[in-house]
Amino acid sequence: MDPAYLAEITEYIAMGMGVTLKVFGVTLLFSIPLGILCALGKLSSFRIIHAVLGVYTWIFRGTPLLLQLFFTYYGLPIITGGAIQLGPEVAAYITFVFNYGAYFTEIFRAGIQSIGRGQYEASKALGMSPWETMRRIILPQAVKVILPPLGNESINLIKDTALCSVIAVTEILKNAKRIMSRDFDITALVIAALIYLALTFIVIQVFRHLEKRYSYYSIK
Amino acid sequence: MKVVTTENLHKRFGKLEVLKGIDLSVESGKIISIIGPSGSGKSTLLRCLNHLEVADFGSIKIDDEYICEADEHGKAVYKSGKEVLRICSRLGMVFQNFNLFPHKSVIENLMEAPIVVKGESKEAAMEKAEKLLEKVGLSEKRDAYPGQLSGGQQQRVAIARALAMDPEIMLFDEPTSALDPELIGEVLKVIKDLAEEKMTMIIVTHEMNFAREISDKVLFMDDGDIIAEGPPKEIFENPDHPRIITFLDKIIQKS
Repeated sequence: MDPAYLAEITEYIAMGMGVTLKVFGVTLLFSIPLGILCALGKLSSFRIIHAVLGVYTWIFRGTPLLLQLFFTYYGLPIITGGAIQLGPEVAAYITFVFNYGAYFTEIFRAGIQSIGRGQYEASKALGMSPWETMRRIILPQAVKVILPPLGNESINLIKDTALCSVIAVTEILKNAKRIMSRDFDITALVIAALIYLALTFIVIQVFRHLEKRYSYYSIK
Repeated sequence: MKVVTTENLHKRFGKLEVLKGIDLSVESGKIISIIGPSGSGKSTLLRCLNHLEVADFGSIKIDDEYICEADEHGKAVYKSGKEVLRICSRLGMVFQNFNLFPHKSVIENLMEAPIVVKGESKEAAMEKAEKLLEKVGLSEKRDAYPGQLSGGQQQRVAIARALAMDPEIMLFDEPTSALDPELIGEVLKVIKDLAEEKMTMIIVTHEMNFAREISDKVLFMDDGDIIAEGPPKEIFENPDHPRIITFLDKIIQKS
């Protein structure tokens, strides 16, 4: 195999990595707070909020991410008569944030619910308000429970960014596919796979490190 | 001076009436033990006092402030959440299962509420926390996490944590029931030390010898009612109520 060819296509494919990382970063940055808020909403006692959030998580977890991408990118301009016409990257950000926000909602809800009633009671008996209790006692403990599933979702997210290629976002897979069709050669695909493996490896290490940091105490 | 007063306190869990009109009054500096069979409503009564349970009927007064007052139908009407939290902050609570914050070290457990709730400075909170740890004999565990401590040590930390809020009254909800027998003594000793300082205490317990030794007054609860109350001598040595006799017999047989 020609090293010059390898270098050339690797550089081209890796150019897509910037977009992949941007989608990854933006999604995590916004969907995590969104997930926390929606989880708190689901745990609150407001029925209307429950119903709205129930529909939200159902729709976004219950339909393919690919379909949601198509909908945001192709569907919204049609529905709104052209009023909302998003660029491919922005459409990807929005879809991913809401999609992952829905999954994080359920992960955070389960994490918060795993903290026993005794912690709330002890906090209240010490005079802490519900908000202080949530912020200082419950959420920090929930993080420990949430980290493993959050790590899983983050790995999924790296791989899901490949879906953006279908709405003309020039990320890793899109570039690899271009070279593949140009050269009738699968080397580009192998290189793309290696890049994904490297990225997911980093994510795995980051979460391994985070989990270690939270292992200083045990929940008895 | 009366520091805790309840009148006609009722509490229901679904169809089950757990408290059937409790009239309780606790004088400052006194130690009250509440004894009785499981499910008699002892813990529920204690938990109503600091609003961990919401009473259905009747009134609860701490010092001279009501946290809930009976309306014309006897229904318990509570003050706002903030007010209740403020008034109840005079009560410290110790739980059967300790409920320490597992993600915080021992000293952080003690400093948390004084800093967050009372706005104490970190230095002041730490100084007080260290004194309290010394008092419960756990100074050397200040940087340990609750998961690294024995049950008895955890409960002593929990007592110190409650004391860090400078409560006027301490509530103990079966403080030794979750402990291995050999660890009970160390916890009881800490409570006895508090008794010597004339701390007002309400203690739900199954430790009859302890209740007898320490209490100014013993309440015997059965089926949601206080069926007898009096000095420990009266309750333990001359029980006149058949329920109490049966209960005490069972306890003695067990031990």
